[in-house]
Amino acid sequence: MAKWGIAHIYASYNNIVITLTDITGAETITKATGGMVVKQAKDEASPYAAMRAAEKVAEIAKEKGVDSIHVRVRAPGGNKSISPGPGAQAAIRGLARAGLRIGRIEDVTPVPHDGTKKKGGRRGRRV
Amino acid sequence: MTRQSVKVPKERIGVLIGRKGEVKAKVEKQTGVMIFVDSEEGDVTVDYSKAEDPSAVLSVMDFVVAVGRGFSPEKAMIVLEDDWFLEVIDIRDYVGKRPAHIARMRARVIGTKGKTRRLFEELTGAYMSVYGNTVSLIGDIVQLDIARRALDMLLTGSEHSAVYRFLESKRTEIKVDGMGF
Repeated sequence: MAKWGIAHIYASYNNIVITLTDITGAETITKATGGMVVKQAKDEASPYAAMRAAEKVAEIAKEKGVDSIHVRVRAPGGNKSISPGPGAQAAIRGLARAGLRIGRIEDVTPVPHDGTKKKGGRRGRRV
Repeated sequence: MTRQSVKVPKERIGVLIGRKGEVKAKVEKQTGVMIFVDSEEGDVTVDYSKAEDPSAVLSVMDFVVAVGRGFSPEKAMIVLEDDWFLEVIDIRDYVGKRPAHIARMRARVIGTKGKTRRLFEELTGAYMSVYGNTVSLIGDIVQLDIARRALDMLLTGSEHSAVYRFLESKRTEIKVDGMGF
């Protein structure tokens, strides 16, 4: 019988965090982040890091008997970016390639029902 | 973008579907992800239950957004490939919602007779589309990073010559990446 888990993927422009939980979402089985698999900070959000992190998660998942997963992708959300970074896609692909069956893919990016002001001030983002 | 539904401007729906539905059919055949278009509202939803590779749903969503943001289907098809991504930048984040400012920024990004945009595309290898309030880029991770930074310079007021110099200086980086690590 298939044992299900949920892979929570948080893909921002600076990093990626994959947390694998059981189906309730309360018990974490394993997790991996971009920073755990690459040396340079600028590579943390790269598709390559996402792939490696996904492999890492998948390995432990299979060890613990989880063979099918639902995926919940999220971007920073709120008043920040609402589209997941480039890592999200690579992470899901990585999980699938490592032999986990993917069930549902869901977007759980928090969307404000009109919340706080976006950072950057009145004159927009200046560098 | 993983939302299971996105809104596409009405005038882009025809482009998304294509003559006799050929664009939509081609994407569906290539990815196995079904696309449903509500032509009245402009809502596009996708069904990935029959797809071989479920992660394709993300790139199909990107494809739909890319077409909605002014790319031709041929160029938008590139995001269906691995390692190519779409990025949409809202001009309003930089200059606010005044139409005059947005028009000025669009002009800055495009350049005289498209000179700036052409240079962007030639020097980075990424594709650019300016549509409404947004500037969209399609490229691989390195191209996107450099194109985004250059665009950021333009939108925050750098001189064009400075941006060109920046792009020129980053050419080797793109070349090295193109050869595969």
